[in-house]
Amino acid sequence: MPVGQLLVEGLAIGACYGLFATAVVIIYKTSEVVNFAQGEMAMFSSFVAFHILSVYRYPFWLAFLITMVFSILLGILIEYLFLRPAKHPTILGMIVITLGAEMFLVGLAGWKWGAEQKYFSLPLDPSVTYEPVKGMIINNWAIAVFAVTTCIMLFLYLFFKYSKLGVAMRATQQNKHAAKIMGIRTERVFSFAWGFSSLIGAIAGMFFASRATLDPAFMMEPFLRAFAAAVLGGLMSIPGVIIGGGLMGLIENFFGYYFPHWKPIVAFIVIILVLCLRPSGLFAKHFVKKV
Amino acid sequence: MIFRKKVLILLIAVLAVLLIANAAPAATLAGFDDNEIRIGQWGPQTGPAAPWGSVARGSKLLFDVVNEEGGIYGRKIKYFIRDDMYNPAQTAAVVKELVERQGVFAFVGGVSAAGGLAVKDYLAQNKVIWVGPATSVKEYVFPVQPYLFSVYPLYEDEASVLTKYIVETLKLKKIGILYQNDSYGKNGFDGLKQRLDTYKMSLAAEIPVEPTEKDLASQILRLKSSGAEAVLMYVNPTTAVIALKTAANVGYKPQWVSSNTLSDYPLMHKISGGLWEGVITGNFGEIPDSKNPLMVKYKEAAKRLSPEERWGTFYSAGILFADPIVEALKKAGRNLSTEAVLKALNAIKDYQTIGPKISFTEKQHQGSDSVVIQKCGPNGSYIELQGWTANDLATWKK
Amino acid sequence: MDHFRVENLSISFGGLKAVNNISFGVEKNSIFSIIGPNGSGKTTIYNMISGIYKPDSGRILCDGEELVGLSPDRIARKGVARTFQNIELFSNATVMDNLLLGRHIHMKTGVFSGAFLWGRGSRAAREEIRNREIVEKIIDFLDLQSVRNNYVASLPYGKRKLVELGRALALEPKILLLDEPSAGMNTEEKEDLNIWIKDIQADYRVTILLIEHDMNMIMGISDRILAMNQGEKIIEGTAKEVQSHPEVIRAYLGEEHGC
Repeated sequence: MPVGQLLVEGLAIGACYGLFATAVVIIYKTSEVVNFAQGEMAMFSSFVAFHILSVYRYPFWLAFLITMVFSILLGILIEYLFLRPAKHPTILGMIVITLGAEMFLVGLAGWKWGAEQKYFSLPLDPSVTYEPVKGMIINNWAIAVFAVTTCIMLFLYLFFKYSKLGVAMRATQQNKHAAKIMGIRTERVFSFAWGFSSLIGAIAGMFFASRATLDPAFMMEPFLRAFAAAVLGGLMSIPGVIIGGGLMGLIENFFGYYFPHWKPIVAFIVIILVLCLRPSGLFAKHFVKKV
Repeated sequence: MIFRKKVLILLIAVLAVLLIANAAPAATLAGFDDNEIRIGQWGPQTGPAAPWGSVARGSKLLFDVVNEEGGIYGRKIKYFIRDDMYNPAQTAAVVKELVERQGVFAFVGGVSAAGGLAVKDYLAQNKVIWVGPATSVKEYVFPVQPYLFSVYPLYEDEASVLTKYIVETLKLKKIGILYQNDSYGKNGFDGLKQRLDTYKMSLAAEIPVEPTEKDLASQILRLKSSGAEAVLMYVNPTTAVIALKTAANVGYKPQWVSSNTLSDYPLMHKISGGLWEGVITGNFGEIPDSKNPLMVKYKEAAKRLSPEERWGTFYSAGILFADPIVEALKKAGRNLSTEAVLKALNAIKDYQTIGPKISFTEKQHQGSDSVVIQKCGPNGSYIELQGWTANDLATWKK
Repeated sequence: MDHFRVENLSISFGGLKAVNNISFGVEKNSIFSIIGPNGSGKTTIYNMISGIYKPDSGRILCDGEELVGLSPDRIARKGVARTFQNIELFSNATVMDNLLLGRHIHMKTGVFSGAFLWGRGSRAAREEIRNREIVEKIIDFLDLQSVRNNYVASLPYGKRKLVELGRALALEPKILLLDEPSAGMNTEEKEDLNIWIKDIQADYRVTILLIEHDMNMIMGISDRILAMNQGEKIIEGTAKEVQSHPEVIRAYLGEEHGC
């Protein structure tokens, strides 16, 4: 068994799941909504990047920057158009709304770019690989995933701990009423959370797209896995979901190596087991919410 | 999700069948009159499977050419394309509409196995001829259905022919397979197994994959550590691209061999970022720039009549799936009837246009067992490696 | 002109008039109490002042500025702070963090300059130092030293009430709305609270609105008192005037008042 290689690949795809799960968690943390449109928001942003690259032929860094801005605006817009008009929404109602947004985005992308798979690539040559230890090949894609995930995690840590907005986001998540009374513009906090989540989702989406192909349905499967990683990590803790993602990638790849038939569901079995033993995930701090 | 989706599709198919079965066979309209013969096809023109919609438009080219040449005994072919969006319930609805409202004489082609299975019995009940389904489904023709004629070679036969090529021509001994965990993938697997058994060879690795999986690292590593020099892939285009990219990432370079479903080289080359170059596939049709006079003729016609279409392998497949009905209509003569055309179809022997040689008998409606073997060259070009080859092991012929 | 004024305030929920045509004025830096049995509409008035409910009619004026129609966060930024009957704290954060969140509206620096303290002399750093000073003073004042780094969820009820009071103070409000601050406190704690409220009035130069059930406390510290019953005003006046009003005696003081 190529342990080293499975480790590298498992951690790399796991980091992608974790990164995408972070996007899910940022929205969940502020508004307790699981955003089922998350995958399709990332899909749409990836298509925008693809469009800029293939139609306008801008250099990658510029396309990347434009896509980043676009993804933030997309997140804000979806929150503003779909979530905000809901008066006194229930959690279930909000979930249904995000499902509506998901279908809307799939339809829009299908109409604009068609259903045919598209080629999407980061400026990383897949054939350039490094072999630091014998039998453990690391490729550019994995290196980029590790580097970007680390940077984003570091940024999020500082952001939530020290910035005014980050603190306001945490406060809103814990008690929206009290946050408002403290003068926190909670609506702005929601806009920001959606924008920020969409941005991180778009980065993860581009990693997934460059690993596979780009089509309107390409984020459905990764979203499920990232969501599972988020549940594993406790849905609230960002380091938790990153570890959840990593575990997910490792379990799938090590187990899938021996039992390829079971690869697609092994992680979900693990999650069910975890939830039976620790209903709030592996890394959630237990606290009783005031009624 | 995957299971749910499958169950859903099955449910819809069953529902569609039930709905149709419940309705008493409608008093079908005659499918023709003195001036026209009505022929229909369903196929995804929108939705996730839209890329395969070109099959239905390819058949249109054939009928346009036939009409341009004066039709068949003075009758023009009136051709209906209906978009079923790859949704079996929709397939059932459009087929019912064509049969009961428009009155079609026959159907040709038809992408989507689930859609085809949903309407197969309805068409038989209404005695509507159906030629050349654009998928290979054993249940279509085994046991034989009097009104249904298949042109598409079975995946089993194709895999068997490809394996023979790998072993005898490429002289590769260690063979692995990556197959989609459904009937398409399993049929490919069976063909490979059947051929290897005759060589008394065993598989280096057999790796199933769910069609929606996006991470194939462990599967590819398994193939790599098995030492497989050739890997047969019976998967969908996206899975194939992920497999090739992942293999490049972990430094694995086997000879990839795949099915005719992945023979649209320009597309595969594009979406794999060029990694498709060097991949060998089977095909049920001539390569796009084949020197075959009929291919040249149709290519010219396409340029003239449908300049917006890409002259690709699925577009031209639309022609070869529909060819036998035109042939049978001609053979059936001036006095047109369903019985006459059935008789003509059952008499087709070694009929070849731009696809494999086709033969039908009353007891055998699987028309062909042959494929060509091609290789993807630079920029998604086609290189023909081996001409029409029949599967000498084809079980159904014995 | 009154510093803080409520004019003809009314709201009803499903046909039930929760607050009916209430008016009162509060002088700067005074203590104004609202009394009445449970369900008489006291907290509903607070909720309208702080923007959680929108009144059906009436005006709420702070230094002549209309508050009706503003969102809760805008009202907070106008200098209105409050506590809640049921305590609304950030229970998964420390006491210190809760108090610092009270400083939110005073943090001028933006996302990024505020995010990372570039250098000690920077504006962000100076602002941070000032915020910390104010919060430290409140911690001293409310005697929260021993629990400053504890998670709020782990504190006893009485302490949590104080933390909420401290957080409201951290806003440096012009108007402070206190909703039953002594509920759940023992006699000793109530005495302390009494002193603190007087001190707050003196030290922070803040106008205090108080909802309380503890009549001794009310009568002792209030400059003026509004007595309500079933959404209606009974009387507004000094402690003496209110205490002697027959309807107040009947509706409130004379009877058992449950919580």
